[in-house]
Amino acid sequence: MTADPKTIAVDIDDTLNNFTEVLRELPVPDDDPHGLSPEVLRDYVEKIRAGVPDSGALLSTDYSFLRFRMHHRVYERAAARPEAVAFMQWLRAEGWRIVICTQRDLRRSFGGTKAWLAANGIPFDHLFSAANKIVFCRAWGIARLIDDDPFTIAHGAGYGVQVYFPVLPKHRGVLATGARGFTAFEQLKPWIQS
Amino acid sequence: MDPKLGLLQTFYAGLPKDRVKLETNEHGFEFLAMLLAEGAVLDYGHLGVHRLLHKYKLSDVPRRAFDRWLARHVAKACNICLYFHAQANDVFCFNLDNNHKENNTVLLPETAVAAATLQDVLSALGCPLLTVASGRGYHLWGRLAAPVANDRIHDLMLRAAARALAALHRDGLDPQKLKFNFYPHPRSVDVVSLRLFGSTHAKTHHFSQILTPAGLLDEPASWKAFEDHLLHRTIPLRTFESALAALS
Repeated sequence: MTADPKTIAVDIDDTLNNFTEVLRELPVPDDDPHGLSPEVLRDYVEKIRAGVPDSGALLSTDYSFLRFRMHHRVYERAAARPEAVAFMQWLRAEGWRIVICTQRDLRRSFGGTKAWLAANGIPFDHLFSAANKIVFCRAWGIARLIDDDPFTIAHGAGYGVQVYFPVLPKHRGVLATGARGFTAFEQLKPWIQS
Repeated sequence: MDPKLGLLQTFYAGLPKDRVKLETNEHGFEFLAMLLAEGAVLDYGHLGVHRLLHKYKLSDVPRRAFDRWLARHVAKACNICLYFHAQANDVFCFNLDNNHKENNTVLLPETAVAAATLQDVLSALGCPLLTVASGRGYHLWGRLAAPVANDRIHDLMLRAAARALAALHRDGLDPQKLKFNFYPHPRSVDVVSLRLFGSTHAKTHHFSQILTPAGLLDEPASWKAFEDHLLHRTIPLRTFESALAALS
């Protein structure tokens, strides 16, 4: 598919907001419906805060359910980065088509996500979730993606997707071949117009 | 009109048609514009891990657009999934899924035992279920003569599912390998949808065959069984109430 030069995909968590910061400070839930022992609950919470994936063979587990519930709370509490909001509003004013592209499970988080975007004045045209954002961007002819995911940073350029990423501590050691890191959204304006 | 279309329209007549999840490989902004041209709104789209299968959650769907997509569902050009009403419904469905991350289209002994137990328990109480192969397990549909409050439907389903779990324990099987979902669920009526009968599974490309005690039926026989269930196995409300009382 031919890429549309004025369409851009933008991630939410740790790109437009401070997801990880809030997750690390999130209190241990006090309404666990699965009756986990306090020790197991604390262990799970620490792993979820550290971003440890569920390593078992099963899809739905006590761990995955707790992680979903914690992430859901973070979606509500995470703060939008003011300069990210200003940048998104600039995109809108400049006539860009904006596709919010996230790995959230939108079946269960659509309402909250839409409300959060509206409450923070973040404009968008379409909301998509994608397990692999590079595949999504290629399929939809989107040449530019703003995303903090190390996978897209490492592989986007190889598949014709120009990735821009907010430089975060987790990106140390990531081979950003062709991707461009930024420390302020203002830097992106000339880059995406070139 | 294709008689299959009429069967689907009748079986699922009680479900809302203004909200739909559409599964298709079609994608791109031109396709999206066509999808929304008659006034439907895209809540969100999803691209999963399986090739280019896209899922579009649509709301404010005009009836004529729904009818056209349903015809495409019958023609196997897309899959239509429907949501449930928030208060009361005249269909309900157990969704039994293989709960593994890998190879989850394999039929587990746990799924077979749970499906057979649900069918046995509810059929014995006059509430027969239509068991449809779903790709990762089975959808077991019950059809009621009139809408029943969701909490009462959920009550019946929970109690029947408890029997199925007991059967798994009795047979030394692992309930964790199986994922039970209830539709309608009082907490998630607008969150999760179910593929209608007549669909083709995205991963397996298998038709949604109907399971009988003799085994899985082929496609023409499945449509016949679907029609038969619609005509002869709708559950009267009095029977539903007596089944709920018997399980309580």
